[in-house]
Amino acid sequence: MAAAVAGGMWYFFSPEYTDVGYAPVQPVPYSHALHAGQMEIDCRYCHASVEKSAAAVIPPTQTCMNCHQLVLRDSPKLAPLVDSSTSKNHMRWVRVHDLPQYAYFDHSSHVLKGVGCVSCHGRIDQMEVVHQVKPLSMAWCLDCHRNPGPHLRPLNEVTNMNWMPPSDPQEHEAFIQSAMAERNINPPVDCSGCHR
Amino acid sequence: MIRKSKIELSSPEYWRSLEQLADDPEFRSYLENEFPSTAPALDAPLDRRRMLALMGASFAFAGLAACRRPVEHIVPYVDAPENIVPGIPKHYATTMPDGLTGYGLLVESHEGRPTKIEGNEQHPSTRGASHPHHQAAILSLYDPDRSHDVLHNGQVSDWEAFKTAWQQWSESFAPDGGLGMAVLSTSFSSPTLHRLAEAFKARLPDALWATYDAVSEENRVKGLKLATNQDLQYRPRLENARVVLALDCDFLGLEPDSVSNARGWAEGRQVSAPQDDMSRLYAAESVLSLTGSNADHRLPLKSGQIGALAAALASELAAQGVAVEVPPNASASAVEGMTDDTFLKSAVSDLVSAGRQGLVLCGRNQPPQVHALVYAINQALGANGSTVEYYPLQDAYASDIDSLKQMAAAVEDGSVDTLIILGGNPVYNAPRDLRFSRLMEPLTTVHVADRVDETSILADWHIPLAHFLESWGDVRTSSGELSITQPLIEPLYGAVSMAQVMGLMADDQDLPGYQRVRQTWGPLLQGQGDEETEWRRTLHDGILAADPPAPVNPPYVSGAAGEMPVAVSQSDREMELVLVPSYGVGDGSGANNAWLQELPDPVTKLVWDNAAILSPATAEELGVEKGDNVLLKHEGGVVELPAWIQPGQADGSVTVALGYGRSRSGRVGDGVGRNAYLLKHSQSPDFGPNLIVENTPRRSQLVSTQDHGSMEGRHIVQWGTLEEFRQHPEFAETHTPQTQLYPEHDYSKSPQWGMVIDLNLCTGCNACVTACQSENNVPVVGKTQVSHGREMHWIRIDRYFGGPTSNPSGAFQPMPCQHCENAPCEQVCPVAATVHDSEGVNVMVYNRCIGTRYCSNNCPYKVRRFNFFNYTQQRPEVAKMAANPDVTVRSRGVMEKCSFCLQRISAGKKQAKREGRSLRDGDVITACQQSCPTGAIVFGDITDPQSRVSQAKTQPRNYILLGELNNRPRNSYLARLRHPHPDLEAKRNEAMEAPPEPAHEEAPAHGAPASHGGGGA
Repeated sequence: MAAAVAGGMWYFFSPEYTDVGYAPVQPVPYSHALHAGQMEIDCRYCHASVEKSAAAVIPPTQTCMNCHQLVLRDSPKLAPLVDSSTSKNHMRWVRVHDLPQYAYFDHSSHVLKGVGCVSCHGRIDQMEVVHQVKPLSMAWCLDCHRNPGPHLRPLNEVTNMNWMPPSDPQEHEAFIQSAMAERNINPPVDCSGCHR
Repeated sequence: MIRKSKIELSSPEYWRSLEQLADDPEFRSYLENEFPSTAPALDAPLDRRRMLALMGASFAFAGLAACRRPVEHIVPYVDAPENIVPGIPKHYATTMPDGLTGYGLLVESHEGRPTKIEGNEQHPSTRGASHPHHQAAILSLYDPDRSHDVLHNGQVSDWEAFKTAWQQWSESFAPDGGLGMAVLSTSFSSPTLHRLAEAFKARLPDALWATYDAVSEENRVKGLKLATNQDLQYRPRLENARVVLALDCDFLGLEPDSVSNARGWAEGRQVSAPQDDMSRLYAAESVLSLTGSNADHRLPLKSGQIGALAAALASELAAQGVAVEVPPNASASAVEGMTDDTFLKSAVSDLVSAGRQGLVLCGRNQPPQVHALVYAINQALGANGSTVEYYPLQDAYASDIDSLKQMAAAVEDGSVDTLIILGGNPVYNAPRDLRFSRLMEPLTTVHVADRVDETSILADWHIPLAHFLESWGDVRTSSGELSITQPLIEPLYGAVSMAQVMGLMADDQDLPGYQRVRQTWGPLLQGQGDEETEWRRTLHDGILAADPPAPVNPPYVSGAAGEMPVAVSQSDREMELVLVPSYGVGDGSGANNAWLQELPDPVTKLVWDNAAILSPATAEELGVEKGDNVLLKHEGGVVELPAWIQPGQADGSVTVALGYGRSRSGRVGDGVGRNAYLLKHSQSPDFGPNLIVENTPRRSQLVSTQDHGSMEGRHIVQWGTLEEFRQHPEFAETHTPQTQLYPEHDYSKSPQWGMVIDLNLCTGCNACVTACQSENNVPVVGKTQVSHGREMHWIRIDRYFGGPTSNPSGAFQPMPCQHCENAPCEQVCPVAATVHDSEGVNVMVYNRCIGTRYCSNNCPYKVRRFNFFNYTQQRPEVAKMAANPDVTVRSRGVMEKCSFCLQRISAGKKQAKREGRSLRDGDVITACQQSCPTGAIVFGDITDPQSRVSQAKTQPRNYILLGELNNRPRNSYLARLRHPHPDLEAKRNEAMEAPPEPAHEEAPAHGAPASHGGGGA
């Protein structure tokens, strides 16, 4: 009984259960499946600072309007966006991937070292509504920080959701070895790596 | 209606924070309504079964509530501003105006929100370092008590209404050339403001213009005028000086340009090898100042006797063959309080041999004649143009108390009916005998000020004045460089800049400050290539790139100084009052800044208070003990103040810090300390005789962060003379045990962080303390909490006294976490909340901390700080904007301490990674290091033998603190050196109490040993 309670708490109170699958309703039903999947717009077109800054950023209204100025401007689904563009009121998107404030995650550090978007965010290109697929818990972070090799990919495949590691394990291992050495991969496992 | 209720700014939407979340009404209601069905149940009478059921339910709910995700919004820009990448701060150069000079700063801005101020490396006024007042300006920007509205007769009005009022005045005064109008401004040195003031005067030539600062350069400007017939600014060049004699001149502390002074002074105090030479500093002063504490020799002397000392100095120099005019009343025996002339003779012999590398400095409290004489002395030594430079006083309105008196007289005789007060706070800080508040009564008055202060509350119109980080402006510094003040943010409360107000006065037009400044700079940028390019370059650099103006060196006008002002009957019994600005709140304008209030005075270590500072002998004579209230009566003014007994204070001299006792500064500063301006008289505004001190039966609590100055016989600050260092270069070496019981940590990986603090360079100025507070979101706790030893500063400056108790010298020791390799704190933490990382930094994991405080008890350096209350959450909403987003804000029940600026280490490493290179020395600069004017703090990788920190650690003066404990701290210190004159040193050793001690053993100063460290309470 005690073991069942403990086990239950272990699982049901963990981010694995509470956070994974979180898919809040957004002010505009933006579909990544359409934009990133079908139309193959690169992640960085909108999430422009992902290689420079800690924040990947949600794009300014302006970025959406670059296309929607002409495309489906009158669609009722886009009304909040068009309104934001004309009235200069900010969009209020709902954060999906939410780390605690005391964890200082940096997108650029990961992306520039060849960790793919898909590793943490899942198949965004297939999501009509974005949801969280990984627990984003500290243990989950540390799993990769302790053994980063399998999560590395060629630097030009970072945003490619379809990239698969070489099927030959030896070839994959060789790639990991060379990537680890070339890119000086040395992720911190100290507290001070992410908390300050 | 006195004042509009204070408006709390709701948190702006452009960044995320927990606080923002907590205040989100949506989230609030969500929380409140989370389990509405349980609410009625609580009204019903409880039986045991029900009670258990509810308890069970609440337990489950608590668990669920804890893991439920709060909805957090991301609010992106609508139109992204150019060149802003969210998450990457921008830096802008600007200039902080300060009287007749200004300081070049570099301000960090996160998505449009300024958060941190540093010195501007390209600007000679700071050269990258800073002052506590610069650092604390960021908190003043977010001061919720700054005024939000134009007020007219106490009612909320607006800028348009004032403009209309001004137009009417302008029309009605124009026919008479402005007769009946008076303007009272503070001093400024600004091409734009000067141009506008001149335009105003040209239009209304008969309007009166007075300029008054409570703490000013007036005496110096008048003295230089006397000496040379020219309007001059002075700028010491201490880097060229070998011998400096400071006459009541706190050039390292309270005087303007203290940052560049300290930089220059430090250059002469660099000692790395035994053969290196070092400059020598003499100080004669009434109150033990920062400069006096750092002096090799110090003579406590009443401020009223400094003139006599200067005259005796001239006479002695002339006797040694220096061609200086001797004042008629010069004589060493006329200097009361100087028991023998060894000090004078030693200083003279040093100055004569130093020649143009000598320098005499005269403090701004001293009357103009003394300044003129000091000019003559420097001229005769050849120091003018070498160790001190003079620049024409241009584009400036200097404070002149006579102009204020004339204005007061004009008001008395009814020839003025409208008074415009531009900045300042004369009701609070004008000399008491002018009775400024009564003066204002019959007049129509306008006060331009940043808050509804003592003056504004009595004025008919109050115009909110923007902070310098919100305004356009410009400054000509004391050495003549032109630099720009550019805004970092729109005025938070809709205030207007001084350029805008003075522009309106000049030509009735309401133009933005930018346009006013740009108009001024058109001609200034001429001949510099493309004007717009040069303008942008100047904005970027913060300073005009053109050649700075050349210093001038006019001859001394013979006989200018005349007789030195020597008080006629300066008997021993007669007391002297000396008024000085506070190291923290300055002249009182910083009173509502909690960082400055809680910043310990560098010498007394008092916080949140001012006191009547007495020498031990004077206190004994008066029968006064520390904390006893005394009544000070001076020229009709009476103030009751607690006494503070300070070794080194001149006997018979009572010093009181100005800037306290505000009644309308805001929620922080009101009622803190007592207002010493009530003792200020226009005849003797800075110091004066005829002070009467009366005892009272009352006592007050004075809170000092370091009550005593003794090291209790331990070698905490290692301290020797230059001579001792030459004979025993490694005199400071400490014994460290070589064996230990605990397993060795692995510190082989690069980088390994370490720090060295050169105690020979540290002046104790507190810049590092404030810089750390700003960088690391260090909370303020208030006077009561500090009295319990609960101050939160991550780096404190321990002040020790050495030498004879009558005339001690000071030593300052900055004390951050020592980052011990064998950290005693880590071994006692039951939850591993404090651990080492692989780079040798002792890190604090806030989320693990359960608040046992064992670590603090076991820390031999007492550098750990505990959050006894939720200090940060109590801050006003708008003040939270000053927080650094890269550092966690700590909550109640959590221990915290210096982290070696982990966020900067992380930023430096990431920058290096992005650029695809390894870390270089200098990539990581801690906040304290960056702010230090003397470069006393060096930080870096100790595994790199070429790094500056490794080099410093190889110096013979290097030692670690309490090495015998085998803590192996990463921090080490370089021993402090004194460079005494042999004759004076012999006398000093005589004066030391028996049994004679070696020079680095300190005699206890006073007071009982008190344990006072963080978190212990």
